[in-house]
Amino acid sequence: MIQIIVYGVITGAFYGLAAVGLSLVFGVMKHLNIAHGSFLMIGGFVSFWLFHFFKIDPFVSIPLAMVVLFVLGGLLYKGLFSHLDKLPEGLKINNSMLVGFGLTWILDNLAILFWTSDVRAVTPSYTGKVWNPLPGLRIPIVGLGVIGIALLVIFSLYLVLTKTYFGKSVRGTAQDRDAASLVGINVERTYLVFFALGAALAGIAGVVSAVNYSVHPTVGFEWLLKAIIILVLAGFGKVGPVFIAGLVLGIVEGVSVYFVGTTYREVVGLVIFILVMLKRSM
Amino acid sequence: MLEVNEIDVFRGDIHVLWSVSLKVEERTITALLGSNAAGKTSLLMSISGLIKPRRGSIRFNGVEITKEPAHRIVEIGMGMVPEGRRLFPEMSVLENLELGAFLKKARNTKDRAIAEIYGIFPILKSKATQMAGTLSGGEQQMVAIGRALMSKPKLLLIDELSLGLAPLVLQHIAEIIKEINVTRGLTIFIVEQNALMTLEMAQFGYLIENGRIVGSGETNSLLQNEQIKNAYFGI
Repeated sequence: MIQIIVYGVITGAFYGLAAVGLSLVFGVMKHLNIAHGSFLMIGGFVSFWLFHFFKIDPFVSIPLAMVVLFVLGGLLYKGLFSHLDKLPEGLKINNSMLVGFGLTWILDNLAILFWTSDVRAVTPSYTGKVWNPLPGLRIPIVGLGVIGIALLVIFSLYLVLTKTYFGKSVRGTAQDRDAASLVGINVERTYLVFFALGAALAGIAGVVSAVNYSVHPTVGFEWLLKAIIILVLAGFGKVGPVFIAGLVLGIVEGVSVYFVGTTYREVVGLVIFILVMLKRSM
Repeated sequence: MLEVNEIDVFRGDIHVLWSVSLKVEERTITALLGSNAAGKTSLLMSISGLIKPRRGSIRFNGVEITKEPAHRIVEIGMGMVPEGRRLFPEMSVLENLELGAFLKKARNTKDRAIAEIYGIFPILKSKATQMAGTLSGGEQQMVAIGRALMSKPKLLLIDELSLGLAPLVLQHIAEIIKEINVTRGLTIFIVEQNALMTLEMAQFGYLIENGRIVGSGETNSLLQNEQIKNAYFGI
C-alpha cells in the first residue's frame, strides 16, 4: 500500500506541475488557456530533441524549454490573448477558451506535421532505475526527479510571488486592476510577462512528462484534462492548493487502481470532478 | 499645475462630461463639489488616465497627458486616492504601501516613506500585517492615502474622501490632509459631495452639475454665496 501511495505522490506532483501554470494565469487574468496543453507538449519535444541530438539530460534541459516557451507564450499573448483584455470577465473566459482551442488545434497539428505522431520518450541512463530505501519499497529515480522539480517550482513561485516586487504587482493586479494602474503598474506588460511565465511552467511539466511518461503531439490535451480537474478541485490563483489537489488526485487514482484495476483509472478523476461540481452547486 | 481644457468624456455611449475646464494651482487644495452622478469620478478618472476624453486636453505642468496611460501619469507625478479606496484586499497594509512605491524611483526610498506614513497615521503601524480588506473604513482611507503618497506625487487626487466614514474620523483625516498640504507643499485636488468640509479645507473650488461646471471661485466667497448655501447646505 505504501508503494501505491509513493507512486500516487509522484503522479500527483506531476499533475500539480501540469496544472499550476493554467491555474495561476486564470487566477490573475481570467484567461482560461486551453492551449496550455500544447505548450506542455512543446516543452516535452524541446527536451526530446535536445536529448536526441545533443544527449542533454532532460532535467538539465528544463531551463531551455522554459525559455522557448516563455518567448512563444509571450508572442502568442501579444498577438492573440491580449486583445481579449478589454472584455468583461464572462466574455473574457469564454473567448480565451475559444482562442485556446483554436491554438491547440494549430499547434498540435503542426507538431504532427513536423514531428509525426509517433510516441517519444526521453530515456536517460537512469530510466528504470530504482531506489530501495526499505524492503518492498521501490522508488523510481525519475520519480524522485519529478518530486524534486515540483518542490523547486513550488518554492520558487512562493518566493517570487511574496518577496519580489514583480510578484506583488501580479497579485495586486489580480485583485484590483485599476488600483494597480494607479500605483504605476503597467498592467498590460504585467499580464504579458505572467502569461509567458505560465507557458514556461507548462514547458517544465512537458519536460517532466517526456522523461516520466512520454510525449507525442496530442499528449498536451490528455494532461490538460487532468489540469482542469485540478483547477476545479483547487480553485485558482494559489500555488499550494494546486499541488495538494494534485497529490489527492494522484493518490486516489493509484489507490483505486489497486482495488478496481487500471481500466477505470481515468474514470476516477472524472468522478471526482463531477462530485466536486455537484457539491459546489448546492 | 493641472489644466483641464474643454474635455468631453463618454462612459460607453453615455456623454458624462460636457466641455469641462478647470485649473488646479500649485500648492493649493482645490475642490470640486457635486452631488451623486454629477460627473466627479469620471473627471478624476479622465485626469488619472483610467479613461480617455474624446475631446479636449489635459496638461500637467505644461505636459500634455490627455492620452497617456494611467501608469505613465503616476510616473509623471500624480497620485490618486480612488473612490471607495480600492485597496488590494488580500494583501496586508504593509504590502499595499509597498506597492504604492512600485515606481522604480520610489523603491529606493520605500522604507523611509513607509516610516513617514506611519508617522502620519500611527494606527497603521500596529496593523501592518493585517489584510487590507478587514480594516475599518477610516483605516482603509488612511492606507489609501498612504499608498498614494508613497510614489511621492506632486499632485494628489482624492475621490470622495467622506464616503462611508464616520464624522469624527473624517474630520481627523481632513486635518491631516490640510497639514500635508502645508508641510509638504503637496497640491491637492479633492472631489466631494460633502460641501461644508471640503470648502473649509480648500482655497479654491469648482461646482459641477450634470457633467458641466456651473461655478467656481475662492472658497471664502463660495461659502458666502446664497445660491450655493441653498443648494449644498440646505440653509
